[in-house]
Amino acid sequence: MGIGPSTKETTLHHFRDPLLDVVSEDTDLDLMGILLVGTPDDQTDKMLVGTRCAVMAEGMRADGVILSSDGWGNSDVDFANTCEQLGIRGIPVTGLNFNSGPAHFVVENEYMDGIVDINKNEEGVETNVVGENNVVRLDCLKAKALLKLKMRQKDQKLGNKA
Amino acid sequence: MAEEVRDLRKLVIKAYHMQDVEWGAHNDITADGHMTVSKETLKKLTAGEEYIEDIDLRIIRPGRHDRWTNTIMDIIPISAKVLGKLGEGITHTVTGVYVMLTGIDVNGKQCHEFGSSEGILKDRLYLNRAGTPGDDDYIVSFDVTLAAGMGQERPGPTAAHRACDRFIQDYRMKLKKFRGDRCTERHEYHDIVRPGKKRVLIVKQVAGQGAMYDTRFFSHEPSGVEGGRSIIDMGNMPVLVTPNEYRDGIIHSMQ
Repeated sequence: MGIGPSTKETTLHHFRDPLLDVVSEDTDLDLMGILLVGTPDDQTDKMLVGTRCAVMAEGMRADGVILSSDGWGNSDVDFANTCEQLGIRGIPVTGLNFNSGPAHFVVENEYMDGIVDINKNEEGVETNVVGENNVVRLDCLKAKALLKLKMRQKDQKLGNKA
Repeated sequence: MAEEVRDLRKLVIKAYHMQDVEWGAHNDITADGHMTVSKETLKKLTAGEEYIEDIDLRIIRPGRHDRWTNTIMDIIPISAKVLGKLGEGITHTVTGVYVMLTGIDVNGKQCHEFGSSEGILKDRLYLNRAGTPGDDDYIVSFDVTLAAGMGQERPGPTAAHRACDRFIQDYRMKLKKFRGDRCTERHEYHDIVRPGKKRVLIVKQVAGQGAMYDTRFFSHEPSGVEGGRSIIDMGNMPVLVTPNEYRDGIIHSMQ
């Protein structure tokens, strides 16, 4: 059982993922695809695969990225690095992660100001209840709205009112 | 000149709703909503896996969740490819019943590492999420007992998922033959290019640390195991999939 049963994304979750629905149905966005990346155990590998993600996003000329994470704690290292690698390449990024209370990010950086906390229980703890702290449609709408805002802010900064 | 919206490909998912799930002589499913579950294949499934000592099946009726469960490894939809490859063509799926894979070893150690969900099912499974059954859904519990200590070693959980996938394959073979016009729901999905709009990439970070923390892509069947590739074996490197491939069940969560 997962990196926290309450956040684990089951095979059924991937089949009916609300994040895909929310992004693909938005006619203001051109969804390029879904990049699936692993969460290696080794620290050097964590940095490597997250950086490759950012390079791919850059090569694809992505205007923005929504990053989601299955699990918390150990996988926050990957999550934070991928945000940072996207950020330093000038690609706006928002995300979905379980990070309230004791599960607060174990590492952070300046590019993580658009992360939606997916916690659903009052204490903000890992409840070991399968599905409880899963991403729901509302979380995805928030992450999408935040990304649209960050992309607009970037355009305004560049004086390019798209 | 502005480019026009382009439609790259179409995926049709047809759902067949099951009204009841009962014990029967064979694993069977019909387009008019009846499913039967049998223990007849369990011996063969157990014999085919070195690290599996025993498999038990249970039918859990809607609302009847006041019962013990071993730690929940996965919730899996029953879907089959009918025409084309994952991400295009036609897929049949079942609603009203989902398979729940649970695991323990012969010494009673739960198949988990960081956080475990064994206990009374109603306290351990949050219903009505995208990844969990709804209030009115049946659950077929596929409960695996692994060899000693194998719940924490990669081949153990992998074997459990593989055996469960073979069990589901019995239903897939029948589901493939259902007449398309008898479905209870029909959904059509398109991979669309919208030139001039903000280009957005979804990045999904999935488990790949080792042991049960593994994720499999590109199986032959939707949400399947057989033929898939492990993200661990691919060095956890990023892999791009289309929206339709993703919603056609290209991921099997091995945790």
